[in-house]
Amino acid sequence: MTPLYELHDLKQSYRKETLTLDISELSIRSDGITGLVGPNGSGKSTLLKVLSFLMPYDSGTLLYRGEPTAGRESAIRREVTYLLQNSFLLSRSVYENVAFGLKLRRTEPSEVKDRVCESLARVGLDPAEFASRQWYQLSGGEVQRAALAARLALRPRVLLLDEPTANVDEASAQLIMAAAVTEAEEHGTAVIVATHDMPWLYEMSAEIIGLYRGRVTAGAENILQGGWKPEGGHMIRSFPGGQTVYAERTEADAGRAAALDPSDVRVALSRPQQTGSVNIAAGHVVHLTLERGRNSVLVTADVGGSFLKARVPEGDPLCRELYPQREVFFIFPYSSVRWL
Amino acid sequence: MDFIANGFVQAFHLLFTADEETMVILVTTLRLTALSMALILALGLPMGFALGYFTFPGKRALCTVTDTLLALPTVVIGLLVYAFISRRGLLGDWELLFTVEGMAIGQVILGTPIVAAYTASAVEGLDSRLRQTLLTLGASGAKLAAVSLWEARFMILTAALTALGRIVGEVGSAMMLGGNIKWHTRTITTAITLETGKGDFALGIALGVILILISLLLNISLSFLRRRTQN
Ligand SMILES: Nc1ncnc2c1ncn2[C@@H]1O[C@H](COP(=O)(O)OP(=O)(O)O)[C@@H](O)[C@H]1O
Ligand SMILES: [Mg+2]
Repeated sequence: MTPLYELHDLKQSYRKETLTLDISELSIRSDGITGLVGPNGSGKSTLLKVLSFLMPYDSGTLLYRGEPTAGRESAIRREVTYLLQNSFLLSRSVYENVAFGLKLRRTEPSEVKDRVCESLARVGLDPAEFASRQWYQLSGGEVQRAALAARLALRPRVLLLDEPTANVDEASAQLIMAAAVTEAEEHGTAVIVATHDMPWLYEMSAEIIGLYRGRVTAGAENILQGGWKPEGGHMIRSFPGGQTVYAERTEADAGRAAALDPSDVRVALSRPQQTGSVNIAAGHVVHLTLERGRNSVLVTADVGGSFLKARVPEGDPLCRELYPQREVFFIFPYSSVRWL
Repeated sequence: MDFIANGFVQAFHLLFTADEETMVILVTTLRLTALSMALILALGLPMGFALGYFTFPGKRALCTVTDTLLALPTVVIGLLVYAFISRRGLLGDWELLFTVEGMAIGQVILGTPIVAAYTASAVEGLDSRLRQTLLTLGASGAKLAAVSLWEARFMILTAALTALGRIVGEVGSAMMLGGNIKWHTRTITTAITLETGKGDFALGIALGVILILISLLLNISLSFLRRRTQN
């Protein structure tokens, strides 16, 4: 299957000195839910705006369904739609907001009405009550849901959601996430969602992409940020409580943040023998999550106040021995800590 | 103070009997205001939209010019336009001096910067998310501009009403360019000036009451709009 998007050497910056996006290679699948994770300021919103053709990029290539996109942006915008991080409504009624894109597409008036009501119902806004409300007569969560309804009504091929639940009430958050799942599973829409809701992503998404300072990392990657000091031939980072992690030395000042793929971390229930250049970190299990996309269990442990993740295959007998609060040992070679 | 009380009594008489001179003054004012407002909006809205929406070299300078025009005293506008449309002026052949059309030129110069400046700041102040929202819902080109203006509609109406308030209450350039000719170019404000000068308060008060009613109406509408834009 052709990927939905293929990015190659894509660079984007708001200011001269700093690259906001620096993506050497990335492809995004055309079915199911793809998660986009990363700390604030890592470039998630910027990437989603590039993918929805709202923002130009400086250099590199971006293929959409296997084809170059230059010059076709406004045509593609008709099938790709983006829900802003702080979405907002046009100064008109809820009905007119949801109908706006449909009317632009010259949809039949009777169909406009049907689709508006259907979309509002899908996000839990009763059309009889909400369609005639003005834009300023809604709560924050209702604004977000009405804005989502305006996107769903368009029956998009690609739906990009930018932290859709970050600033809404709990009930709205659940309705929004449920609508996203329905959209992907029943309507076959490719849904790409930036979110901090990892448990939801582990359960629902087919793939998780991580971003860190504009670069792609594995989705569930551990980020060990700050506190690195050179010592001898290594870099050392200590955790509160006295444990330390070693990494291989790099040139100059690259050692500010490092990534550690959970797949590179082995889990043991008792402290193993220290051998060679291998880190052993002791901690307590915080939670276990089933990763639907890859048939594995992600083990999160509290190591001196920081959360570290390790990945265990679903069939591994070890899985049966793991439970919250259980003491575990994470084992990973110095060389698996990669500098970002 | 008897003459004032007397003036009020006569004023109501003039208004309720639809005194011919009073009515002609009102109609002239209406004609002048309608003509001026049409031109002010036709010029000011596109100018303001361009100033607020696009970035281009010289934009800052243009904004400064607009802001300066905002503060131009009406007699100076009167003087400048007079110089152009008097017999010896560049546009002398058009015989605009002492006509309603000539007066309209002064009012347009007075009102256009107001509408342009307000529209520019309204469009500039539009939420940065508006453009992205419109694009992602499929709008482009002229539709983008039209919806943006529509989003700013309350601010733009405020601009129009502010300009309207300024031009109906203005006396300096109307006097110089219209000449305050009875039955022809006499407007509410120029008539009040003249009648007061003559010591005839009745007509002055009658027209003054109308002017106050107009500003009251404008202000009520403006405060309604202000509440609307704050939502
Ligand atoms: N309009 C903008 N102008 C300048 N810098 C911006 C703008 N938007 C975002 N940035 C910068 O780009 C980086 C990535 O931001 P963003 O894409 O919003 O990250 P995220 O959505 O992951 O929080 C941040 O460092 C932010 O400061
Ligand atoms: Mg963001």
